[in-house]
Amino acid sequence: MSGTLDDSGAADSRAGDSRAAVPVAVGAAVGQSIDVLQARSRVDGTVEFALNAEVPGMTHARLLRSPYAHARIVSMDVSAAERLPGVVSVLTAADFDRPGAPHRYHGPVVRDQPVVCGRRVRFAGDPVAAVAAESEEIATAALDRIEVVYEELPRVTTVEEAMADGAPLVHDRPPEVRDHGYADVRLAGVGGNVCTKFQLRKGDVDAALAGSDVVVDRTYHTPAVQHVTMEPHVVLATYDRRACALSVLSSTQGPFAVRDALCEMFRLPSSSVRVVVPPLGGGYGAKTYAKFEPVAAALSWKAGRPVKLVLPRDEDFLSLTKHAATIRMRTGATFEGRLVARDVQIFFNGGAYADISPRLIKNGGYSCVGPYDIPHVRIDSYALYTNLPPAGAYRGYGVSQAAWAYEQQMDELADVLGIDPVELRRRNLLVKGEAYATGEIMDEAHWEALLDKAAAAVDWSPDSRRGTGPSGRLRGKGVAVILKSTVTPSTTHAAVRLDADGTMQVFSSAVEMGQGAHTVLAQLAADAAGIPVANVHVTAPDTQYTPYDQTTSSSRTTRAMGGAVTKAARVVRDRVRRLASELLEADPDDLVVSGGTVFVAGVPSRNLSVAEVCYRTRTGSISGDGDVVTSGGLDPETGQGVASDHWHEGAASAEVEIDPATGKVYVTNLYVAAYAGRVVNPKLARLQMHGSALFGMSHALYEELVFDNGVLTNPNLSEYSIVSMGDMPRHLEVELLEEPGEAGIHGLGETGLPPVIAALGNAVASATGARVRQLPMTPERVLQAMEARGATEERDALRGLEER
Amino acid sequence: MTALHEVPAEGGGGDVKVPDADGRVPVVLLVNGAPHRVHVRTTEVLLDVLREDLKLVGARNGCGVGMCGACTILRDGRAVSSCLTLAVLCEGADLRTIEGLRGGGGEGGEGGEGGGLSRVQRAFLEHRAFQCSYCTSGFILALEALLAVDSHPTEAAVREAFSGHLCRCGSYSRIMAAARQAAGLPSRGGLARGAVTGGVTGCAPDEEPGR
Ligand code: FES
Ligand code: FES
Repeated sequence: MSGTLDDSGAADSRAGDSRAAVPVAVGAAVGQSIDVLQARSRVDGTVEFALNAEVPGMTHARLLRSPYAHARIVSMDVSAAERLPGVVSVLTAADFDRPGAPHRYHGPVVRDQPVVCGRRVRFAGDPVAAVAAESEEIATAALDRIEVVYEELPRVTTVEEAMADGAPLVHDRPPEVRDHGYADVRLAGVGGNVCTKFQLRKGDVDAALAGSDVVVDRTYHTPAVQHVTMEPHVVLATYDRRACALSVLSSTQGPFAVRDALCEMFRLPSSSVRVVVPPLGGGYGAKTYAKFEPVAAALSWKAGRPVKLVLPRDEDFLSLTKHAATIRMRTGATFEGRLVARDVQIFFNGGAYADISPRLIKNGGYSCVGPYDIPHVRIDSYALYTNLPPAGAYRGYGVSQAAWAYEQQMDELADVLGIDPVELRRRNLLVKGEAYATGEIMDEAHWEALLDKAAAAVDWSPDSRRGTGPSGRLRGKGVAVILKSTVTPSTTHAAVRLDADGTMQVFSSAVEMGQGAHTVLAQLAADAAGIPVANVHVTAPDTQYTPYDQTTSSSRTTRAMGGAVTKAARVVRDRVRRLASELLEADPDDLVVSGGTVFVAGVPSRNLSVAEVCYRTRTGSISGDGDVVTSGGLDPETGQGVASDHWHEGAASAEVEIDPATGKVYVTNLYVAAYAGRVVNPKLARLQMHGSALFGMSHALYEELVFDNGVLTNPNLSEYSIVSMGDMPRHLEVELLEEPGEAGIHGLGETGLPPVIAALGNAVASATGARVRQLPMTPERVLQAMEARGATEERDALRGLEER
Repeated sequence: MTALHEVPAEGGGGDVKVPDADGRVPVVLLVNGAPHRVHVRTTEVLLDVLREDLKLVGARNGCGVGMCGACTILRDGRAVSSCLTLAVLCEGADLRTIEGLRGGGGEGGEGGEGGGLSRVQRAFLEHRAFQCSYCTSGFILALEALLAVDSHPTEAAVREAFSGHLCRCGSYSRIMAAARQAAGLPSRGGLARGAVTGGVTGCAPDEEPGR
């Protein structure tokens, strides 16, 4: 327990510096793989997911969804459904026209998404009515009795269609940012189907490209994919008409975003809307911002009864997707392998509603530079409205699309230059103290170490990149390095309360969704307060009691909420020291609180338990608050400024074998590394890395939402493949780069995902000599690329002959 | 709770059941060793009956089409997807859910964290073989079913038993590590600290899956 707790001065003096990570105490719990809180309930089946929630008088909801991607609703008749015995209420757009009715539109940035559609549906799956009934079965039967007459409208489903001259418009009116939106989110370049645009300008790209020795110009594609959280979206909403209060239990990652959306929708003060969040069966971005809380709440408002909505899996597939993206990227370099310029147009398919696209396409946009020093950069990043399900937050947050492009391009450039891909990267990696393309200085840079480790993990050498394995399988290796931002600016508050018996409550709105947030917060709180971790309880988010937190996403919880909890716990510890000072006849500054005991520094025999201190001073409880508020922002014209409070750094390497007859890719070796700074709980941290690695592999090889005329054709696990145990790489290794001492904590939830996709792409290209620029790398696409390469080689050979 | 012998025979006897006005038939389900009399629709799947009527919530709906394994239960010792099993056809079967697993005595004992848990459950706990744990009941029961018929399975057999189970959080390596422990298979190395390189410390790999 050395060096535990005498760091408060350093910590608190830096509290005002928003860009500084809050140093946390190195104590008994931090750094240990302690067991997850309530772990037992995870293996005996008793963990209380939202799915289990029930209240007296509860009704069950189902949604009627549009079968068309774009249509006008000519008429709707719900009377037969309303007459069905057991049906409590049917909600349609007409219900929102009455005085005192809630708003019908919501959205985290633009209020463009209807709770239920009125005159127009904008994607196949858009809800047009909602039914509350005594059972889910009755609600389902009622859906069949609702008659809707549609008149199909011309649709746009791809970004190319959306941008075409004279394209049908998804929204007739241009989007507008809602009041009190997020500070970092603006709209620009709005018009046609463009929801928003982000741009970055640095140097003189045209001149630099013209002056480059080589320029690689390629276009890359990534498809829409779904989160497939094993637990679907679940909401239980209770609107109390007499009290004019709304209470919602939801499987959301953003309790306060949901509360604020509902306050706005129902015109209620925040004290009248309560959002409670139990443990989630997976989030991965799917459950950020209000999703189905508005419709469940509106239905409860109309029905006068509690309403529970559990999305069937095929409807969960329609809830939100990762953005499909088309990325045209040109990179210029010198013969020596120095990057000179990059020009990028990246088009994100945002689907029918803005959701969080305006932020995501900004982050995805500026991330196209990668962890490299490029003097001249021009990036134009667009979010397009289309008639597809809305796209939004997804583990990797725009970076997996960007990194797929820029890390493929690095290898393509290396091939053109005849330079080893690892060496080309090494020559251009950002180093500490250098400026990113946004102008912000990189306070940390560990990419070289990460790259070296990734290369070593696959025994990288320039001549071992490709080879042939047993039974003629093609072997290849690939590497990738990435950087990822975190949402900036952001705000997090936390509170703790030490009770007189020496146990402590942590009041935090961090959502536990499998990442182990509550365990990690307990560890940080315990060490900062100086009590055993077993004495700490972390509350579930409850907007009525737990302090504000922006969101549980963006890999920010351990650092931001961890920092806030640490500060709060230190307030309590300092109060304990002051209370104990008279009892122990020592200056508070000379007192140490550790393991639930207060003692005089250097004289451990002069001690009192924390409980004894409280008892003797007639203290009932001690409360403390803490916060982490970061600042930053980018200039809308130039993209210059501070994009991220700090950066996440990752690398991956992969070895694959490919059957040349079928094109199937077998991953034999997968390695992922991330810079962690300081790891609070190694066992949990490594699980996060495993998760990212497998998500990456799944996106690289298997996952794609397939639409036919805008209708999703594979909305269940029978037709949509995600990585299974049988697909596991023969060898999977994750590594965390740590620094000894007081290094800042770096989130690890997403860092490993983007580089895995790109490393696998590079490995496939190494093995086959043919690049698949479109994800996922299915056997068909691999074969196609190999055939195309064969054709090119033949053509080049012929041309060579002719020229001779 | 009704004892089996108290259930009156339906008209026509044996297997023929006449639905009531609500379209429901009475069924006695033997779940975790106890008989439960329930009225179910003929189309109702066992998963919904377990969760809604019996309040056994350890089996969960992940897909409803037999592809994810989250709804797994044991039927006469075999792991089945309760989302695809009609409740009316389960009369007379020995049904067991995650709630019905018990420690076999001996190791772990009743005290401590692992008390009352089965060997497989304890292994999952020790290896922290889950993230969100939505899939965990299914994996545990799949392994229980295998171990019941083969107390020393090969690694290939363990993988086969897990083949219908998905873990979106990607906890497969840990799940295999836990399974190896529970199945008495040799482990593939553990958590260890790596060497310090250039002021940066690395961790050695977790247990790795293999083929
Ligand atoms: S819910 Fe039964 S297999 Fe997925
Ligand atoms: S632990 Fe989340 S799905 Fe397996």
